[in-house]
Amino acid sequence: MNDSNSLHWSFDYNYGAQNPQFAQELIRTLREYDTETDARDTQKGQAATHVYDILPNYWRGYSRDGVKEKLSIGTVTIERNKDGDSLWNYFVQYENTTSGENLEIKFRCDDENYRPLKGNWSVDARNSGEDKYTRLACEGYLASDSEVRLRINGTEIIAGTVASFDKLTCNWALFDVIPRFAQTIKASSDGIDIDLLEDLEQLRPKSRLGFLASIQTPIPLEGYYLYGVGLLPSYWWLDTYGNIAIASTFFETLVLREKIGNRV
Amino acid sequence: MNERPNILFINTDQHSWDAISAYGNPYLSTPNIDELHRNGTSFRRSFCTDPVCAAARSSWATGLYTSETGVPFNGGYLHPEIPDLGQLLNANGYKAFHCGKWHVPGRNVRESFQTLYYGKRDIGAGGAAYYDSASTHAVADFLTNYDGDEPFYLQIGYVDPHDVCEYLHNHEEKRIPNPVEQGIVSEDALPPLPENFDYDERETVLHRVCRRVDDALIHAAILKGIRDWDELHWRYLRWNYYRFIEKVDAEIGRVLALLRETSLHHNTLIIFSADHGEACGSHQMFQKFTLYEESVRVPFIVACLGEDISVQKDRFDEAHFVSGVDLFSTVCDYAAVDTPEGLQGMSVRSLAEGRDVPWRDCAYIESNYWGRAIVTEEYKYVTEYRPKAVEDFSPPGPDAEQLGLSQLFNRHDDPGETKNLAENTDYNEVLNACRDQLFAQEARLHRQEIVHPSPKRVISNWGERLRAYWEHGR
Repeated sequence: MNDSNSLHWSFDYNYGAQNPQFAQELIRTLREYDTETDARDTQKGQAATHVYDILPNYWRGYSRDGVKEKLSIGTVTIERNKDGDSLWNYFVQYENTTSGENLEIKFRCDDENYRPLKGNWSVDARNSGEDKYTRLACEGYLASDSEVRLRINGTEIIAGTVASFDKLTCNWALFDVIPRFAQTIKASSDGIDIDLLEDLEQLRPKSRLGFLASIQTPIPLEGYYLYGVGLLPSYWWLDTYGNIAIASTFFETLVLREKIGNRV
Repeated sequence: MNERPNILFINTDQHSWDAISAYGNPYLSTPNIDELHRNGTSFRRSFCTDPVCAAARSSWATGLYTSETGVPFNGGYLHPEIPDLGQLLNANGYKAFHCGKWHVPGRNVRESFQTLYYGKRDIGAGGAAYYDSASTHAVADFLTNYDGDEPFYLQIGYVDPHDVCEYLHNHEEKRIPNPVEQGIVSEDALPPLPENFDYDERETVLHRVCRRVDDALIHAAILKGIRDWDELHWRYLRWNYYRFIEKVDAEIGRVLALLRETSLHHNTLIIFSADHGEACGSHQMFQKFTLYEESVRVPFIVACLGEDISVQKDRFDEAHFVSGVDLFSTVCDYAAVDTPEGLQGMSVRSLAEGRDVPWRDCAYIESNYWGRAIVTEEYKYVTEYRPKAVEDFSPPGPDAEQLGLSQLFNRHDDPGETKNLAENTDYNEVLNACRDQLFAQEARLHRQEIVHPSPKRVISNWGERLRAYWEHGR
């Protein structure tokens, strides 16, 4: 970080066809979301929503048609509703114009730091291309014998097994897990282990969450990393209000655009 | 087996032959490809026809070598009169489906196959992070819904671990600090440098101009970006590469799990392979485009999760040289479809069933239009044709007078290909024998002149640079 315009390497994709648009969009977006309500906890029956723009990390910027008005290639909306005293209902919408696939994901978690999955969940994938076989409806559940099971068009398969369901959560709940564990992770030299069910389909047991760095620009942020078997490192940046402001995976960078509701 | 089988061809992209845990690699976990191995025969001497995506894939599609297909590099263009596998199967009682990466320029996949998912934007080279999961979704939808009367042929083109190229591209303009110093990964977790990290610099001119010099013809920007890499950066490249493979292994796992839970698995033959490998630090090189083992040697498994198809299971075939051209003949053999005249490939079906049949005694590989290799039981012979003084768009060979420099490696004593024996006069006889094998193979090819302007431009531009190197050492 040499000056106020440079980005941390973990989310710096401001080059190639994306220079200077990547940095401009990222910084502008970050400075716009409202943090006014972050001092209050979400109460029973209330909802909290984060909306993220998806910026491409791909070096050519997917810009085959020349300069784009907007670099963002899609949106992720993470909505959770506090259901009773100990349960969260999540509804995630992922729309990506590059893959042409839109996902709708519904799941429930216990109100604990690990946000462990609870009960059943569903994934609805729609391919907006012109090809056949454009929709997949997948349902999943935790079987009694540590198995994670998926039911796809009536056909049931085992996604894998975990030693315990206590640390099993979905990558989309990490937006709440990391803020909850921030101090613990920061205080630990090795970070913490977590079992992930990526997009509620791919089991990534014993993934590792650790502390990366603190930065002051473009806004004050604290960075965390995540990786594991079959999981390339991704970087998660927490703002001072407890929101994941940037989540940069191998191929895309999610930038918080809008926050609705109280602290989660 | 009474009925013609369904055939599932699962391919990964840039997947070296040894990057599979069932083959003893301790640095990654591939339980699903391991399952394929346990349910089939792994051909350990399997080589691509040409270590770059489009070229190798043109061989899969046609059963021909790349100097025959018109696609000798990524900018090639498939000769329009050559039939492809989809056309042939559709005309002979099969339903041919394609899903994922195709990358055979000059042939519209949608005209040859019924596509399940091909991306909203057509999939080019990279993008596994988006496309592979979507491909699995489409295949899952297909496997759980297919009700056609005909047997199906389905080829799934997964993009990973090709996204390691995007990892490398990220280094072109961005300084990425050492991950160990950042505290992200402990040094103990990283694979070691490959034993053949140091290499013999007596390489062919084609190799040096394409991959080594500062203004290399292929991906010079990456080369520049990684010039000052330390050992940990190379090891971290390897660590990342293995994570990409684990990602695609998980995708394959969902397909296999669904296949197993349907009634389809009993009568579905599965072939697994990759278009080419990845250098991953060997010879201080990255990506493919070279004729070294890591770049050209790929997995090739023939398997069945059920018992209706006769396949020797949990077995390594260490004896037979298998090539990317063999996919076409093998699929046609299982599908009971006659192959077109002039095909170069051979069906591995008998070998997969454990029956010995007359077989080729070497593998033949082409690279970057002018590069050639012969792999025998004991030696690897790598050579090149010098570009002619006058532009010529007929793929070269066999032509002793145009041969350039050579590399010769003893595969038993030097499996890492680190000691070039070509200049050692003790090996003249071996060199001549390999050259004879090269010319004999090339004499069997039906090479056609490249006529499409796009590949002609590449040949002109590359040829000019190579001639300059030959004439002026630069």
